[in-house]
Amino acid sequence: MTASAQSGETGVRGGAYLVDGCDTMPKLFLKKTAERGERVAMREKDFGIWQSYSWSDYRRHAFEIAHGLLALGLRRGDVVAIQSEDCREWVFADLGIMLAGGVVNGVYPTYQPNQVAYALNDSDCRFLCVEDEEQLDKYLEVEAELPNVEKVIVFDWKGLRDLDHANVMSLDALAALGRDYGREHEGEVERIVADGGPDDLALLIYTSGTTGMPKGAMIPQRYLMFQTSLTVDFEQNENDEILTYLPLCHVAERIFSICLPMANGSVINFAESPETVMRDFQELSPTFVFAVPRVWEKFYSRVATAMSEATRFGQFAYKLGLRLATPRARKLLDGRTPGLIDRLRYHLADALVFHNIKQLLGLDRARMQFTGAAPISKSLLEWYLVLGLPITEVYGQTEVGIVTLTRQKPLRQGTVGEPIPHVELKLSEQGEILVRHPFRFDGYLNLPDKTAETIVDDWVHTGDVGEIDENGQLKITDRMKDIIITAGGKNITPSLIENELKFSPYVSDAVIIGDSMKFLSCLVMIDKDNVEHYAQTHSIPFTDYRSLCVRPEIVALIDAEVRAVNAKFSRVERIRKFRLIDVLLTAEDEELTPTMKLKRSYVSNKYNALIRDMYGD
Amino acid sequence: MTAPLLEVRNVETFYGPVMAIRGVSLKVEAGEIVAVLGANGAGKTTLLKTASGALDCRKGQVLFKGREIQCRNPDWVARQGIAHVPEGREVFPFLTVTENLLMGAYCRRDRDAVLDDMETVFSYFPALRDIRGRLAAYLSGGQQQMLAIGRGFMARPELLLLDEPSLGLSPVLVGEIFEIVTRLNREQGISILLVEQNANVALKISSRGYVMEVGGMVMDDDSERLLRSEDIKEFYLGGREQGVRGVRRWKKKKTWR
Repeated sequence: MTASAQSGETGVRGGAYLVDGCDTMPKLFLKKTAERGERVAMREKDFGIWQSYSWSDYRRHAFEIAHGLLALGLRRGDVVAIQSEDCREWVFADLGIMLAGGVVNGVYPTYQPNQVAYALNDSDCRFLCVEDEEQLDKYLEVEAELPNVEKVIVFDWKGLRDLDHANVMSLDALAALGRDYGREHEGEVERIVADGGPDDLALLIYTSGTTGMPKGAMIPQRYLMFQTSLTVDFEQNENDEILTYLPLCHVAERIFSICLPMANGSVINFAESPETVMRDFQELSPTFVFAVPRVWEKFYSRVATAMSEATRFGQFAYKLGLRLATPRARKLLDGRTPGLIDRLRYHLADALVFHNIKQLLGLDRARMQFTGAAPISKSLLEWYLVLGLPITEVYGQTEVGIVTLTRQKPLRQGTVGEPIPHVELKLSEQGEILVRHPFRFDGYLNLPDKTAETIVDDWVHTGDVGEIDENGQLKITDRMKDIIITAGGKNITPSLIENELKFSPYVSDAVIIGDSMKFLSCLVMIDKDNVEHYAQTHSIPFTDYRSLCVRPEIVALIDAEVRAVNAKFSRVERIRKFRLIDVLLTAEDEELTPTMKLKRSYVSNKYNALIRDMYGD
Repeated sequence: MTAPLLEVRNVETFYGPVMAIRGVSLKVEAGEIVAVLGANGAGKTTLLKTASGALDCRKGQVLFKGREIQCRNPDWVARQGIAHVPEGREVFPFLTVTENLLMGAYCRRDRDAVLDDMETVFSYFPALRDIRGRLAAYLSGGQQQMLAIGRGFMARPELLLLDEPSLGLSPVLVGEIFEIVTRLNREQGISILLVEQNANVALKISSRGYVMEVGGMVMDDDSERLLRSEDIKEFYLGGREQGVRGVRRWKKKKTWR
């Protein structure tokens, strides 16, 4: 923030949040792309080779799309949807739509056609951008239900040469249209941008909707500008590299990959595909890492597995490294400054052991690490701290954005930290976390009742239960509706137990069940790679995923993990029975959210038979 | 329950540093035909070679009638009752048809029975009888394939490992050869482990099937059920839903359910 202080004001003025004197994303975009010119803005792989795109490329492409949409008749406030995996066109289109005065509606590429139809109808979408043939087919399947969609723009035209459809065009065709339009209407985009204000609707974000249909949260421009203020006690700069791999429709990836780099000039790199994320990390070694707990867990379990395979010397070195570096981490956790000896011991461990581990994971250049979007286990945070990778936990939700984060000094892990400036927090009588700040969302589209339930007297009801500790740090207990009350009347917070389970390298996700039941039970999704590896090394024959899940040895393995977790909890919080989910779930399945979390309510309905079996009916 | 005829357990086989199959398990019960499907490079041939002893595995076991046979010499394995018909026929080019068949019976000492079995081969493959004096090199692809299967049969195995018998053959010939394979199984009581790319034919004659992808098993089920599976239809039988546009280039994600 400090570097650009002379070029414009940053901070709150009236109801707006200014970044370098700009109060909307498109204004900031015009200013920053002009300033940054040929510097690299993003990288993407093309046929396996990283290609760079500069800020002026970014500007040119966004202008072409903006002009193209204007030529098609886009008017201020019209909704344009983007249904694609993360790619440079996603970002070009995103800014292009905003430059033309449109509203962006990100549609998860994992949606099935009926879900696409629901979202596009709800948002009254006029134009739709799709990634490729596959995504286009989803639209075509439900075309009849979508009379409001006037044009579909396809980023990647491969395989569509013979397509003859009046409403479908390629991105290249749109860009050509835009170039012609731009020549005749010079200055129009700049005028539209200048007319825009901080309260204009910028995005519609459909919340994953673990219950019922997804709700479209209306996100204004001021929200996006405000989120760039996250850098409260750290700095992001032009040398930072970011790996973009979570869906851009999700608010967290948008903040980290579009909003922050726009303000600070860091470079974003698109992961090749959701399946190659681990390899992309290795290749790029990003400096600024935002990851969901699932990814942090995955890194850890890779190391845990590699260590169980390592030579005796390797295992010895790893253990020694952990022992050497732990005192430093302990002191940091206690809020003390590690002494010279502690630091020397850490550096020795780092040079001998940790550096190699970080290199293996692609975290050797990482200088800022973040986690959010789901609860994370404390043991995991500590492991990273010992390795010298303190993780900042952020807390927020679509409706209010990121509102708290753990500070660097003193480090208080296990909490989600303090509110960022301009955010007020309080707890309701039931312990629900309420948030107030002037930059929040404008309510849910077409759902005045839901909006009224969520925003009461200007306070946003988050639906999360938490507490504020004696240091003023916020701790999240759980989702309010997820809290389990057993038949014995005990209140139990399932996420606490689930997180401990997920810390096991063999458990990918778990759902605790037991509301109005006599005891707690659990559905477990095993970590395919690590459990397969375990089966290999222990000569447990299996063929496919299902056969793996029914092997008594594997059930025993998970049983041991469950017992280990049980030992950490009181008697009523112990898991008495568990079952494995024997279907390998993918992001397309409705059991998972697009960020690969198990949906509790959905899972407990779908696997009702397994649950009944555990309770012995 | 008696031990299955062949049981492969968590086998890992390497070519130098490259792991070709990473922990594969399968079973063949006596009297069965079992098919293994998979694309090029999935590790099917490696699996057969590991079973027959042509390759040593680094981990895992191969059990034949309950006895470990992995990492033994192939001739010893052959003597236990496993005949391997390799991919691409691999007949001895400069030996005649008769000599090739006798090579199959190399380990046997029962001369008379060998001659009877040669007759049996000719009854299954009448085409071979007329050209028995010819050098194998001059045989057509179909004839060579018949010869290779005949040579395997001459060892009087309990288990025949067939590696892509349909390779490079016309559909008519494929039909013929598979019919004979079925008859060998039914009339001679030979169990068969069949590796194939031609999923349609292989699943029709087998009772169970396995699907391999990049060195691991992804699916196993009764052949009838596999034939009905959406993923098998799409990726192995070439029958994809046409979609709304009548053409479709993209592939579904494989879930193997």
